[in-house]
Amino acid sequence: MVSDWYSYFDKKVDSGILNHLLLKASAAGIDSAYQSNSLKADKKKLKAFFDYLSLAKSAEKFAATDVMYSWEPQPAVKPPVEFEASLVKSFKKSKDAFIKQRLWFQLVRYYYFSEKSDSTLLPEASKTLKTFEASKNSFPQNMMHYRTLGYVAGWHYQHKNYAVSNYLNSLCYNYSVEAKIPSEWSFHPQEEADWNKTLTLAKTNEERATLWHMLGINYDPLRAIGQIEALDPKSDKLDLLLARIINITEYHISGGNGLSSLDSAEKRELKQNTTAISNIALKNNTAKPYFWNLAAGYLNYLSHNYTAAKTFYQAAKPQLPPGDKLVMAQYQILDWVLYVKELKKIDPEVEAKMVAPLNWFADLKTGKDTISSLRFAYALDSSLHQIAGIYKKQGELVKANALENYTDFYIQNNNIEQMKTLLQKPNKTAFEKTMLRYYPFDLQDLYYHQAQVLAYQDKIDEAIAMMTKSESEGDKMLANPFTMRINDCHDCDHQRKQSKEIYSMDVLKTIQLMKSQIKKGTNVYENAILIANAFYNMSFYGNSRIFYSGEVMQSGGNTPFEIPIAFRSMLLSNKIAEKYYLIALRAAKTNEQKARCTFMASKCEKNESYNLVYTKPENSNGNEWTVTIEPVFYGAYFSILNNEYDNTKFYQEIIKECGYFKSYVNEH
Amino acid sequence: MSNNLPCLRHLKIICLISLTVFCDSCTKNSQSNTAYYYWKQNFKLNAAQTELLEKTGNNKLYIRFFDIKWNTKTKLPYPEAIVNFQTTTPGRHITPVIFITNQTFEKLSPAGIDSLVRNSNQLLEQLARKNHIVYQAIQIDCDWTLSTKATYFSFLKQLRTISKKKLEATIRLHQIKYQFKTGVPPVDRGTLMFYNMGKLSADPKTPNSIYNTKDAAAYIGTLNQYLLPLDVALPVFSWSLQIRSGKIIQVYAKIGVAELENKMRYKPTVNENVYEAIDNFFTAGVYVKTGDLFKLEESTPQLLQQAAQQLSTHLNTDTTRTIIYYELGNLNLSAFKAKDFQEISARF
Repeated sequence: MVSDWYSYFDKKVDSGILNHLLLKASAAGIDSAYQSNSLKADKKKLKAFFDYLSLAKSAEKFAATDVMYSWEPQPAVKPPVEFEASLVKSFKKSKDAFIKQRLWFQLVRYYYFSEKSDSTLLPEASKTLKTFEASKNSFPQNMMHYRTLGYVAGWHYQHKNYAVSNYLNSLCYNYSVEAKIPSEWSFHPQEEADWNKTLTLAKTNEERATLWHMLGINYDPLRAIGQIEALDPKSDKLDLLLARIINITEYHISGGNGLSSLDSAEKRELKQNTTAISNIALKNNTAKPYFWNLAAGYLNYLSHNYTAAKTFYQAAKPQLPPGDKLVMAQYQILDWVLYVKELKKIDPEVEAKMVAPLNWFADLKTGKDTISSLRFAYALDSSLHQIAGIYKKQGELVKANALENYTDFYIQNNNIEQMKTLLQKPNKTAFEKTMLRYYPFDLQDLYYHQAQVLAYQDKIDEAIAMMTKSESEGDKMLANPFTMRINDCHDCDHQRKQSKEIYSMDVLKTIQLMKSQIKKGTNVYENAILIANAFYNMSFYGNSRIFYSGEVMQSGGNTPFEIPIAFRSMLLSNKIAEKYYLIALRAAKTNEQKARCTFMASKCEKNESYNLVYTKPENSNGNEWTVTIEPVFYGAYFSILNNEYDNTKFYQEIIKECGYFKSYVNEH
Repeated sequence: MSNNLPCLRHLKIICLISLTVFCDSCTKNSQSNTAYYYWKQNFKLNAAQTELLEKTGNNKLYIRFFDIKWNTKTKLPYPEAIVNFQTTTPGRHITPVIFITNQTFEKLSPAGIDSLVRNSNQLLEQLARKNHIVYQAIQIDCDWTLSTKATYFSFLKQLRTISKKKLEATIRLHQIKYQFKTGVPPVDRGTLMFYNMGKLSADPKTPNSIYNTKDAAAYIGTLNQYLLPLDVALPVFSWSLQIRSGKIIQVYAKIGVAELENKMRYKPTVNENVYEAIDNFFTAGVYVKTGDLFKLEESTPQLLQQAAQQLSTHLNTDTTRTIIYYELGNLNLSAFKAKDFQEISARF
């Protein structure tokens, strides 16, 4: 609309100003714009424009209304009777064809709203129709013409003449992209008889094809394709419908597991679509045969007819438009996905073949290459998954993991070592280089992960050496990992101010120092209990879970279920903490100290009872809602506490703080 | 005084038992009234509807005056589909009904209850005055849930105070079964909606969701313990489910047995009341594809007799009970005759 006026003023009035005046300004705003005389264009045209605009803005009061929600009764919006005379007068007076056509539009629209509520009005008595007919040939068949025609279609709809209404809407639909949405929304065949009559109104095969196209996008794409193909196989009305069939099939399959996720009705539909589209592709008589061959190939691929899919893709290949980057890329993706699907084993020859496509995908993934509108993520992920699967079967775990990183890989340190070797290999093959473009970690990440694992094995010297290699000091602890509490409360510990910052490496070095002191027999109780606290706090149950954060483990979250099963036992275990509490117990001098060590060991023992459930293989994909945590098991340490240390102050403290212990005491 | 109370209670029970025995043997002497809902936006009665209303319903009508829905743009509740009286209403037995979406109470803040009550009552009075309707009671239809109970009940309480009318509320079957959880609305009477009890299902074998004895039985065991006197709403509507590829596409009241019996378009299937389309075509604005299934769910006089029979044995005796048929505006008068309504109501 704005561009029409922009040309009308020979580009002398800024389109931003026109946009504002036409679409946003109020009647008063228009007036002041005119009075200000600021627009530089043909004076006559400007006057005609502002005269027209003033009328058009008045018409918006009845023609461009929104639904009003109110508790007060709303007056019915009706076009004012006197408005007709001013419109007619302006229309008659206007000599400027551009303006006159718009006044004609205004008049037809005015009559449409005036006659809307009178459902008994006969077409021959309608001013809407009469005004349209009287001047339709006096103006060019442009967007204005079709906007006016849209109101005529609306008139017929209001007067239940659905056959004509739908036919006229289809003419509007066919005119331009802008006209498509309003006319498509207004297209509503009611009875089969209307629809048949609409078809008889169509004068050319193109008009008939448009009607079937509209039926297709709304209701039945396959039927429409058949009808249009019979009318004119070269019709461009087929393209959108074909795309829709593909989209619907993908929608049914998406999120599921390919063909097996379809129910029987969807399978039947896929078969029907595949057969019909394949038949058209085979005829090779459409305007874009490659489009049909690709679609037929893809539908056959989805139906697991790989041989047929390949034949269609091969037929498409020489037909592809080389200049169309998107189509070429789409072909490449389809061809690749089929190629991978048919792979049974991967040898150096296959690897050599995969280098180019995998590099291309990696370029797309990293944004090194972009092809507008191309969707490739699902195709890439599913093909990498398949390739990784084949490598796993072949026992080539490093390759499988490089292409599709998986946590189980890291259970075996040997695997990590092999991965490190590959990362450090000086003369990598082309395929190895390509493959590693998909691997998310670098050498330092692996060293860091190994350091963490060694720490959880109480191999502190080696852990420190490995962490040094990772060139990282690790994360900053959110609380002091050497403290203990009767009841775990991470928030309380995190809130407490720390005198100095402690990083993962500091934790390890402190443990190392304490261990050396224990070895020498110095302050064994104090050192052992502090080490025990550190191991407790580094586990899932403690205040320093951050110790296990890292690229490889990806173990975050507030429940053990968010820790991958591969690392769950390691991070949940309190066995090492328990070992050090017992060392402290043996070195303890007072009953208070002994009670403390025994109680902390009981916490480790209790947590192990939860771990039995969390680490069960069948619960690896469970969550808080699906897994029942079995009742806490009261172990040996509660009994020792109760029998030997009930005269300590600490015993009184735990009775107060620890509900589990209190229930134990009450029961025994 | 207090010593007498238990005796009185016994007396009441004895009366109840004798009444039940009496009623069982002579249902024709029922005291229940017959009435109809009118739910369409344009109120217009034709001669047949007027006649039925006079003959069976003593001109008693429950007219939907407007809906209240939450407007997500303005974040306020507004009336929609306000009734438009094209003919005058018969007689003086009109009860206005307001349908309120549960979402309204989900979104409405406690501070907004006041103005919703005031606005609703004002609009009711306005519409009644303009159309010369005198009413004694207001009925509110809302499928409230646990989360909206507090707001909804507070709305009802205030509306009762401000309108100075008797207040009625529709009660769904699950609200009977779980009355202590879902609460009992603070109104004078409830209207038990004895329909839509089953789930809509694409499975051609599942029973009629509008009414079936088995689904009903799961809900009505505790009916006599419900803490409000109950009227009963019974379904006199039908619809069909359009099923494609095993999924329900839409439910249409406008596609009924007359359409589905068209042999050029549909064939019957092994399942009763399930038809299969044998062609592609448009009907009533609906596109039908070959292979589509239409599952017709009807309420018939026979079915309602059965429903009445099942329900009446579980209801407390109430001589002022009204049986309200849903609904008159779309009622198929070839399927239901005046006599049917009289007979069905007489079972209560």
